[in-house]
Amino acid sequence: MDLLRTLPSRIASLFRRNHLDSALDEELRSHIDLATAENMTLGMNRKQARIAALRSFGGLTQAREAYRQRRGFPILGQLAQDVRFGLRQLHRAPGFAATAILTLAAGLGATIAIFSLMNALLLRPLPVPRSEQLVVIQSQTSEDEQPGQRFSAPMFRALEKRHPALQDVAAFFDTQFQVRSGSGSVEKQGAMVSGEFFRAMQTAPLFGRYLTPQDDRPGSAGGYPVVLSEGFWRTWFNSAPNVLGSRVTIANVPFTVVGVMPRSFIGADPTRRPELYLPLSAEPIVDAPFDMTASGENAIWLNMIARRQNAVSLEQANAALSTVSVAVLEEAVHNPDRLKSLQKTNFLLTAESGSQGETYMRSQFRKPLLVVFSLCIGVLLLACLNLASLLMARASARERELATRLAIGASRGRLLQQLLAESLLIATLGTLAGVLLAPIVSRSLAAMLLGSQRNVYLDTSLDWRASAFAASLTLLTGLLIGLVPALRATSGDLNQQIKNGSQSRPFREKHRLLPRALMGLQVALALMLVIGAGLLAASLTRLYRTGLGFDPNHVVTLSLDMNKQGLEGDALIHWYEQFAGALAHQPGVRELSFNMVPPFSGIVLINSLHTAANKLAFQNVDTNEVGPSYFQTMHIPILNGRDFRWSDTATSGNKVVLSASAARLLFPNQDPIGKSVLAFQDKAYEVIAVVGDTKYESIQAPAPPEAYFPITQSTQKKPSYNAVVRLDGPAAPFASTVHALTARMAPDIPAPVFNTMSGILDDSISSARMMALLSVFFAACALLVTAIGLYGTLAYATARRTGEIGIRMALGAQRLQVVALVFRENAWVSISGCAAGLIAALLASKALASFLYGTSTRDPWVLTGAVLALIAIASAASLIPAIRAAKIEPIEALRTE
Amino acid sequence: MGDKSDVLQGTLDLMVLKTLESMGPLHGYGIARRIEQVSDNSLILNQGTIYPALLRLEQRGWISSEWGTSETNRRAKFYSLSRLGRQQIEEETENWERVAATMARFLVS
Repeated sequence: MDLLRTLPSRIASLFRRNHLDSALDEELRSHIDLATAENMTLGMNRKQARIAALRSFGGLTQAREAYRQRRGFPILGQLAQDVRFGLRQLHRAPGFAATAILTLAAGLGATIAIFSLMNALLLRPLPVPRSEQLVVIQSQTSEDEQPGQRFSAPMFRALEKRHPALQDVAAFFDTQFQVRSGSGSVEKQGAMVSGEFFRAMQTAPLFGRYLTPQDDRPGSAGGYPVVLSEGFWRTWFNSAPNVLGSRVTIANVPFTVVGVMPRSFIGADPTRRPELYLPLSAEPIVDAPFDMTASGENAIWLNMIARRQNAVSLEQANAALSTVSVAVLEEAVHNPDRLKSLQKTNFLLTAESGSQGETYMRSQFRKPLLVVFSLCIGVLLLACLNLASLLMARASARERELATRLAIGASRGRLLQQLLAESLLIATLGTLAGVLLAPIVSRSLAAMLLGSQRNVYLDTSLDWRASAFAASLTLLTGLLIGLVPALRATSGDLNQQIKNGSQSRPFREKHRLLPRALMGLQVALALMLVIGAGLLAASLTRLYRTGLGFDPNHVVTLSLDMNKQGLEGDALIHWYEQFAGALAHQPGVRELSFNMVPPFSGIVLINSLHTAANKLAFQNVDTNEVGPSYFQTMHIPILNGRDFRWSDTATSGNKVVLSASAARLLFPNQDPIGKSVLAFQDKAYEVIAVVGDTKYESIQAPAPPEAYFPITQSTQKKPSYNAVVRLDGPAAPFASTVHALTARMAPDIPAPVFNTMSGILDDSISSARMMALLSVFFAACALLVTAIGLYGTLAYATARRTGEIGIRMALGAQRLQVVALVFRENAWVSISGCAAGLIAALLASKALASFLYGTSTRDPWVLTGAVLALIAIASAASLIPAIRAAKIEPIEALRTE
Repeated sequence: MGDKSDVLQGTLDLMVLKTLESMGPLHGYGIARRIEQVSDNSLILNQGTIYPALLRLEQRGWISSEWGTSETNRRAKFYSLSRLGRQQIEEETENWERVAATMARFLVS
């Protein structure tokens, strides 16, 4: 209580220490002067008077010290003392200090980096009021493994009409808008939102108004409104205050600015950050030539987010949703087959907490991030164990110092406090270095995860959540590395320690059990990490080794967006042909063609094909539209028949190319060349070739049956294709020449997006890659740390046994026996550690099973390899101290006794 | 550190407050001397201990201080009683009288 009351003046005194000290000195001087003067009036001479004054004052220094303690914080002073002492200790052992701090910095930095990624994706709530009331609407059927998060427009409208227990139900669709700027058009991240979206977000606009249900009606008079983000307003309109009423041309249509949202508002998907918000009813304009709204129940594209009514729990919201699910389904789905199958599989609308907003990335990256995070914690734990053993070794070197201090009256608590202050100091320095490291790590991790996905933001900045995590991690680390060594160092028998010193302490079995257990734990942990890394790496190499059916190396893709330019139909195909001709003359181009859907792009087009002979046997086949010489460019073997040509036009008869497995499905035991396939409302297509199977959806999934149609016979009005180019040389110079070429040949289209096929491949397995690369890195760290730990503790223990070994040798022990004696110490630790680690790894690796491709969690090669690696490392680390022990000269050793 | 002398501190606090009440603003030496004189030199005070006590009282807002000039023309810090300090005297006096009365009863019986 008293401390609280005097706190302000105490804190103030911290900052004015020098001034207050001199004021106190002045006051005390005046006291002595006054006393001296009075004493002199009593007849003493000056010297006597002064001595008498000082005597009656008592101790000047004591008074000053008591005064200072009263003034500031005595504990703070002690702490400062401990920290200074700790710094001196670290300074005296720079090698130890550097190792300890760097080890921790690496471990803590990586952990904090991964935590800030998880924070960005999984923890940070949306910056809107009462975000805990938000829910994400999902659909669930008994056939789905994961709930669906996208809905058709009719289904959303059906739920929008009746939503019990929910205040506002909103749909949104994040996409790219083509915004006209002075010279051409640029792509901007935008969102189309339904009427109740902003109301559900409960965020007031910076000025103007936000979009309301009135805006979300088709064909409202006076054109469509647009709401800007603060960033767009700042960069595009230079923060002009009179922006309301201005026009922004999106997809060639003018939109009127009606409001600007505050900077804190980032929309409903924290990874997207739209700059422009349009009413959902504007979708047919913005998406032209496509029209998802008109596609009705066939287009599944909208995300739904809603706000619970006050005092309605998530369970109540779910219960309410389940009561309307059937009605919504019946209103939204008209296709009888689809309706029947959805009813049969118990279609249900559900609500999940949406306080962090809705992003598909969460479901995609949650498990990989958790795996990496646990690996990281494992490494950190290992580093802590290692430092604890090192500190224990150091503490036993300081036994005499500590014993002396205990003997002259230091309390055990005070010593503990000081030793812990030292380890906390190490942890703090490690964290500081780690925090500097963390942004670099998290940024490169995010880059690795996201691959070439553009327009995705991961805010990995250190907010209070990450800072609190870092702080508690520091404290925990400090205690973990310091507590056991400190307790042990201050527990000993004073007399014993002072008498014996450090050199000739008797061999005490009990005292060596703890360091051994710690080392064994390290070995076990390291083995677990190595096995985990081995499994993930083996799975990744198997992924890369699987045949794709085509050669992705040196292939680049160039996606051309033709939606908003003038050419159509044959004229556009003619443009593609000219473009191909121009590309072929660029330096470094070996072969080129076009396709509609590149492999591993995440998009799969499936169509039902059948034959005239067997009209009822529909086969679902992955379909693609490809240009002439596509198979040659991709190095897909043509097993039979010929490639497409530019001359395969609409008038020359419909053609199709089948993959081997599609040919087997449609024409079992027949030669399909020249035969007809029926597709797209029973139109006949002549099979002109059979080509090799290729993987299409993902590397993990087996190659599906495929049918290729020529772009020259496309029925789309304005098809957008990707140019696929096989290069001789490097990709970078080609990218710049091709940009110039496109700008010249098609000034109206946005700059084409350039990708390398191997990049697409890497991206499609980005989380597998990240997990494998990181876990291998972590495993290497683990091995290194364990080796250092085994070496350090054994070297130290052996050095302390110099005398004992000297005696043994003097009594006739052979050098080889000494090597064995020392080596045995670590052998036991390593073998028992390995055994424990192996058992633990077998139990824990089940968690990895879902991430592994073609690899069992008990893969014998990986398990054997990991154990061998650890034993090799342990042997190497133990052999050096053992050989050094064998070189001890008995006479020397005994002389130093 | 200061735990063992708490009772004494309490008494010292009251003595200082009472001194300032009867004498008006006074410097540290003056307070120490006054206490010695009033106690008829039966209390042997290390004059230095007065300063932490003065700081404590000032931190609690019971007294305030300012630099001035002594009767011998020496610059010195003068302490005076604050309004809060006056209230405190009443409270402390009551407390002390209660303790003294209790002690007296014990000593008599």
